[in-house]
Parts: sequence; C-alpha cells; structure tokens
Amino acid sequence: MNRDSSAASAKALFVVAIVAAVLVSSVLAPVAYDYTTSTQSEGTVSVITVSGTISASTVDGISEDLRNARTNDSIEAVVLKVDSGGGYVAPSERLYLEVLRTAEQMPVVASVQGVGASGAYYGMLPADEIFVLSSTEVGSVGVVSSGGSVPLPESVIRTGPDKAQPTADERRQTVESLKRQFVGRVMQHRGDNITLSREEVAYAKTYLGPRAVENGYADQIGALPTAIDHAAEMAGLENYDVTRQEPPQSLGLVLLTSQTDNGTMIYKRSAQTNGLVPVTRPLMVDEIAPYNPEVNANGSA
Amino acid sequence: MEARDLTGPAVAFVVVVALIVGGAAVLPIFSGGDTPEVSNLAQQQADLDAARVAAADETGEITMDSDATGKTVLVDKAHGNEFSDEKLSTLVNTLVENGHEVRFVTQEQARGSAWNESLRSADALLVANPTQAYTPEQLAGVRAFNDAGGRVLLLSDPASSSGSILSILGLGVGPQQPSSGGPGLSSTFGVAGHSGYLFNMHEYQHNFKSIYATAGSGSLSQDVDRVVFRGSVAVSTDSGERALTAIEQTKLSTTRRADTYAVAVQSGDVAMVGDTDFLAPTDAYTADNEAFIGNLADFLVSGQKTGNAPTPPSTGSENGTGPTLPMPTL
Repeated sequence: MNRDSSAASAKALFVVAIVAAVLVSSVLAPVAYDYTTSTQSEGTVSVITVSGTISASTVDGISEDLRNARTNDSIEAVVLKVDSGGGYVAPSERLYLEVLRTAEQMPVVASVQGVGASGAYYGMLPADEIFVLSSTEVGSVGVVSSGGSVPLPESVIRTGPDKAQPTADERRQTVESLKRQFVGRVMQHRGDNITLSREEVAYAKTYLGPRAVENGYADQIGALPTAIDHAAEMAGLENYDVTRQEPPQSLGLVLLTSQTDNGTMIYKRSAQTNGLVPVTRPLMVDEIAPYNPEVNANGSA
Repeated sequence: MEARDLTGPAVAFVVVVALIVGGAAVLPIFSGGDTPEVSNLAQQQADLDAARVAAADETGEITMDSDATGKTVLVDKAHGNEFSDEKLSTLVNTLVENGHEVRFVTQEQARGSAWNESLRSADALLVANPTQAYTPEQLAGVRAFNDAGGRVLLLSDPASSSGSILSILGLGVGPQQPSSGGPGLSSTFGVAGHSGYLFNMHEYQHNFKSIYATAGSGSLSQDVDRVVFRGSVAVSTDSGERALTAIEQTKLSTTRRADTYAVAVQSGDVAMVGDTDFLAPTDAYTADNEAFIGNLADFLVSGQKTGNAPTPPSTGSENGTGPTLPMPTL
C-alpha cells in the first residue's frame, strides 16, 4: 500500500514536472526561435508610412524614421508605403531631400497604395523603384496657390507696399518657379523611364497604375510585400526582418485641430455654392484628393 | 562581516565603472564621433537658374491717335456686368484725358425706354461680361445704335458662373429670344466667342493661362507687336478682321486643340476682345498692352454715328405694345 502510494505520488510529480517543462518551453521556444531567426536574418527592411497631407509635422516624423534607417546598422533597405495626395510645397521638398539622402546610402523602394500624387510623388522621386497597384493614382506634377491677396484694411500698418500683399503676378512667378523645380526633378529622376515631354508632365495629369507604368511615372505593378521583397533583393538580403514605422496615432487629431501652417488661404470653387470657398486643408480626403491632389504654394509671412 | 571586507569590492567597482564610462567618453575623440558627413543635397539638386522667373517689363504710355473730341462713350453697368472699376479706370482715364465723356448706365437708368434714350445720346457702347439678360427692346436698341454707326465694344472673359456674353446678348439667335443662345448660328454682330479659355504650355508669361497674342490686321493692332492676356476666350468673326491672334501652340481648354485663335476681332463698328484683365492697371503696361488699350480707345471714339438712333419708340411701333424693332435710319 505504502509502496503503491509513493509510486503514485512519484508519477504525479513526474507529470507535474512535464507539464511545467512544456509551459516553460512554450514561453522560451519562441524566444529561441526568434533568436535563431535573427541570427539567420542578414538585415532589416524598414517600411515607412507616408500618408495624409504632406505637412511640416508629418515630414518631421518621416524624417526621423528615415534618419533612424540611415544610422541603424541593421537596416539595409527602406520601403516607403505611400498613400497621400500631396500637401505643402516646402515639406514636400524636405521629404524629397530626406528620401534622396537615404537613397544614397541604401535601396529605397516606394509602394503606392491608393494615391501617390503631387507632393507625395515629389517625395518618392529619388526611390530606386516605384511600385503601384492597378487602381493607384500617381502624378499631378504641379502647384496650386491662391492668386494675389485680399487687400488689408487701412487700420493695418505695414512697412512697405509688398509686405503681406503679394500681387497676382508675383504669385504667378512664385508658382511658375515652383513648377519648374518640381517638373525639373521629375525629369531628372524619371528621365530615363519617362516617355512624356517636360511640357506634357507640366500638364499635371494624374495617371492610373497601368498607364503610369507605361509612361514611366512608375516602374512596376505590385503590392507592398512585393515591394519589400524587391527592396531586400536590391540590398542583397535573402533572409530579412521587416520593421514598420507607422505615423503617430494622434496624427488624425492633429490634422483636424491644427490650422494652416501659413497665412495663405487656398480656395476652391464649390459646385454647391457656386462661388469660392476657403480650403483650410486643401487635400482633405473627400475634397480635392484624390482626383485633384495638388501641392499648394506655401506663402510666408 | 567587517566593513574592511567591503573595501576591496567597492574599489574594484569604482575602477571598473571609471574605466568603462571614461573609455566611452574618450572613444569619440579617437573615432571622430558618429556625426555623419552631410552633403548639401538641396543645393546640388536645385537648378537655380531654371527656377528663377524674371519679372515682366512694364513700360510705355497709353496714348490715343484719334483727333476726334467730345465723343460720348456709354459703359453698360446695368446687366450685372462683372467688370471692376479698377479695370475700367485705365480706359476711362485715357478717354477723359483726351477730351471725351464716359457715362455709366446703371440698372435703374436702363429701365423701360431709358436704355434707348441713353444710347441715343452716345457715340459708343462698351459691354463687358454681362450676367443678366437684355430685354428685346434693349437688344433692338443696341442693334439700331450699331446700324447707325455707333461703335460697340464687347469684352468677354471665359465664362465661369455667368453665361457667355453671346447668349446674354442674344447674338446666337433671333432678337426675341435673348437668353438662350445656340452655337453655330450666325451672329447678328458678326462676332462670336468660344467656350473655355485659351492656354499655352509652350510659351507663356509666368502662367500657362497668360498667353501671348500678336498683331493681325486692322486699326486695333496698330503699333502692337504682342500683348499678354491672362485668361482669354477665343473669338471669331465671319467677315471682319482678326486684330490679335494667339501665338502658335495656343490651345483651347475645352477641345485641347492647337489652332490660330483670334482673341480680338473687329467687324465694322463692332469689336470683341476675349479678355478684360489686360485693362487692369497691373497688366496695362505689360508687353504692348498699353498700345492695344490706346487702339481700343481710338476705336470707341472713331465711329461716324448718324441720325438719332435708336429711334424713339413712338415712331417705331404702331401700337406700342410689341417690342421695339430696329428701324431703318436716315
């Protein structure tokens, strides 16, 4: 009897030990698996999201992600996951320069989701390869701006006739200069692929994926995983990790609450009111974008 | 345990920490830190010469050649005309400085027979961007005025919310249906405008809608090499002269076709210009715009209006109930 009970308790102890071992192993096994995987991984592809209006604050975040990619030794390639109809001119140029700086160090591949137009297209120009979907729209290489300015009341004292009062012709010159820069960079970066003339690009048309691949605005039809794999291949990685840099969650709130970054108001003609209505966020999802996604000139105070 | 026993480990701890932290502090001096080399990409990438846009030259004076004096020019402000006083000022100043009179007809002054009375005492009529329909009587009055040699100058910007000048004036159809124009029908005035605006992506002044137009034929193009119109409608004439023609590769927004589009035409005593912006003080001296404005002023005062047109209704309508029809003048 004693021998039976001690044998039973030994058996129970044995079972407990096995169960405990399985439990502990189930926690440790993924760690061990990850460790081995990471030792197998030759590098990391960083997927950086570019979405919403290209503004100073969104570009600050993207720049930080790109800087991290450049300084982090384990990151070997960058994929820009783009879904934006554009934004302000100066932030768009900043984005372009940050992507260019990154592309000088490592492969950069752009993967356009819904829209990659205007300022967003400007930003992805230095990418080695641009992937689009069949339903993606890219292009809109142009600038929109309000023309001239509303006269200030007499009570406002200014130091000179041009202070805060650009004339319509000055605005036209500004917009023309910005257009030349934008079109010039498109021709510079897409020049070998693009089948359109500088003049045709300046029409600022938006093209659907298949057409964009045909005329050289984009390189291939392909979804995000394809783009990631292509970036890894360009970096010479067979086994790789993927990290995703999403924009901060508070971004939507910031967009809704913040005001325009500058004194320039953008107007659009409304079918309902048959007149000009101010567009504080010229590229809000249901307004101009995605069919008329434009960069607007950034007036300064 | 004695405190003395802890001294050894404590010293070892301090020495190790000092070595590691000190080493980390000294290392960048030898390795040069981790600040990456920064190249000025913004400057390398920008073609600054191509990005510089020169301001347009603004020279010249608006002068008139005509030696006529004391002519009266009537400006229509009775039909919701979208034409600012600022734009009007250049032309009005030129006319007044040269001894002519400019009168404005407001909506109140155009009711009933007042419109035709105003026309009777005038030598020329300027109509720009009307948005309200003319009554059959008013239209008949304008035609009688024109038939008698009264000069009529029509200015029309590309139509936005307002209808085209032709449908408002009823030029496309008969005089009894002023507000429903139809394309393709011959205009009584012998001039017509196209829908849409003209643009040129190849050669333009600062903006694709700021097109250049060069001189054609007729007095309106005298001393003009080329003018700049900002947002212009294409106009055409059947038998008249094409005074200004947009340069090559100018296209029409609605058809996207390149053609030689006229932007100013003259047909006898009627002239039509497809823009009003060139009159604005900021654009009046660009290119040869000032010469063209002077020519328009000359056109307005150079008519040879005869008779007392339009004739008063009492002699023109037998029963007085029907619309006033254009009557033969003496």
